[in-house]
Amino acid sequence: MIKSVIRRPETGALAAFILTYLFFAVATSGAGFVSINGTAGWLNLAAELGIVAIPVGLLMISGEFDLSIGSTVGAASMIVALGTNQLGLPIWPMIGVALVAGMVIGLCNGLAVVKTNLPSFIVTLATNFIVIGATMGFSRLIANVTSSSIIASDSAKFVFAARWGQANIAILWWGLAALAGFWLLSKTVFGNWIYATGGNLNAARGAGVPVERVKITLFVATGFAAALVGILQGIQWNSGNATYGMGYVFQAPIVVVIGGILLTGGYGSVLGIVLGTALFGVISTGIFYTGWNTDWIQLFLGGLLAIAVLANNYIRRLALASR
Amino acid sequence: MKFTDTLKGIGAAAVIALAAAAPAKAADDGPLLVVSGPLSWPFFAAVKKGFDDAAEAYGLDYQYIAVTDTANMTSDYPRLLQQAISRDPKMLLVGEFFPDGMDPLIREATADGIPVLIHNSGQTLWEDNGSIGFVGEDPYQMGYKAGQIQADAGVKKGLCFNQVPGNPTVEERCNGYVAAMEEAGAETIYQTIGTGDATNPQAMTQAIKGTLQANPDIDGIYTLNAVPAMSALRAVDEVGRKGEIMIGTADLSNEALMAIKNGDLAFAMDQQPYLQGYLSMLIANQYLNYGLHPIGHVKTGPLVIDSSNVDKTLEVNKAHGGVRGAS
Repeated sequence: MIKSVIRRPETGALAAFILTYLFFAVATSGAGFVSINGTAGWLNLAAELGIVAIPVGLLMISGEFDLSIGSTVGAASMIVALGTNQLGLPIWPMIGVALVAGMVIGLCNGLAVVKTNLPSFIVTLATNFIVIGATMGFSRLIANVTSSSIIASDSAKFVFAARWGQANIAILWWGLAALAGFWLLSKTVFGNWIYATGGNLNAARGAGVPVERVKITLFVATGFAAALVGILQGIQWNSGNATYGMGYVFQAPIVVVIGGILLTGGYGSVLGIVLGTALFGVISTGIFYTGWNTDWIQLFLGGLLAIAVLANNYIRRLALASR
Repeated sequence: MKFTDTLKGIGAAAVIALAAAAPAKAADDGPLLVVSGPLSWPFFAAVKKGFDDAAEAYGLDYQYIAVTDTANMTSDYPRLLQQAISRDPKMLLVGEFFPDGMDPLIREATADGIPVLIHNSGQTLWEDNGSIGFVGEDPYQMGYKAGQIQADAGVKKGLCFNQVPGNPTVEERCNGYVAAMEEAGAETIYQTIGTGDATNPQAMTQAIKGTLQANPDIDGIYTLNAVPAMSALRAVDEVGRKGEIMIGTADLSNEALMAIKNGDLAFAMDQQPYLQGYLSMLIANQYLNYGLHPIGHVKTGPLVIDSSNVDKTLEVNKAHGGVRGAS
């Protein structure tokens, strides 16, 4: 029983989350970090990253990377901004266009990776440059700007930027993404295919798993989620910007790894990804409530990443030893 | 035989092409090159619009050179500048953002007889490195002015929030702010954010909110760009201190201007990026044609935008997008 708990992929992330949360709860005493508003704060931050981290994590379980998410976030926000502000189009069709664009980027990534067999790390890094370059080029061509206001309707504002107290609707979207990811990975045949594809590609292929379809589908899901985050951020901040989301390029894989997913694929869970993202939210927000010098913040995050990778490596050896 | 015929054909074509190219080369002694900031920033989009408009007005051809990936600017900019110099331009208009790497290269260029005009950054260096002048603002003075405004308004503890730590020009603004506040006897806090979060308004909001919670006596905030200014507005609102904390920012956006109009934002410091580009190109034209140039530092900032002059700025934004550096 205890052994099986230790071998769960999210155990390390859960322990780290609890310890870190307690640490900041004590270190920020009196500054309101554990209050409802303080909690809404770190959840808002984690939610936007978390929506894209879930498909990125599933993709990593299947053995592939996606580093094009950063520019897809910015591109989606600019599509909505250019459409509504510069071209005067209504917002809902533009949201649809942005989501389709995200899926098309994902489809291109997926096809390129499957057809060429090149490492997705390189393919999607290239896509990341292509997409941000295209976003900037077209934005300047159409309107001579690289950031632009968004004109949103009340219904769009409600769906993407509603707030309850200080909690954003993005938290609900994150919850939905987590439930969808959990269902897909744990309750469906497709979920087994994801594990099989990332665990042993040739064995999976031999067993009749459509590994190419699995990968392409996950790339499309990642592009969709990145576009969704771009729309959420754009409408929330009333403007599109080609550089939105650039931080996610590495933050998303970081939280996925902290959450217990192996870089080599085949192992991990959605609960782990959620906990890894929450932990990231707690650290990157909590440190400001301490009043400390925040020049050190990336040292904390880097140290945590190193510990998480070491712990995951140890857990994997335990898991393999029992087979 | 067929093969040699083809070779002859290629040879003849090459001779004709060379003959055609030769007079053009003689008339044109190198390109006019601009090494300036990344166009993904609305600020530099306005600088470029200034370059474009002036180049069109004076019939000049020029090339704008900038990074597209802003992650390694400190090392990328000297490299870009080196490449520009190696093309032997007839004139070089440079934003000297990273003096440690860029200043030695500018010295080499001016020593080789390439006329250099500095814009935007490098206000203290242009006289020593042999360039003909400087067009732009002094970031220290911009921050200093912001500190003075807040101290005069009675701010006792000011927060300078820097979303791009490591950028020396931007850090100078905080240094100026801190100096002015301290001269007036006010306290200051200097806060930075992780380098990956420079373009994430949510992360900036939570950072400022946390800082305000940890320091409930902060009554003034100075941000270094219009995007973090919006994050500061929301953070102040979320900690329930709207109206108690005076917020000012460097640089403009439409939203920041609307916030000034509504009274939520006290001021924005405009360094007039369009003028930096336009005047640089104007000077280049006069220098190349007549050998004329202004003597000394041409100041384009800071122009303080507050409730008294915000309406005009908004009007210009509507009619001529991008000129005021906001859209």
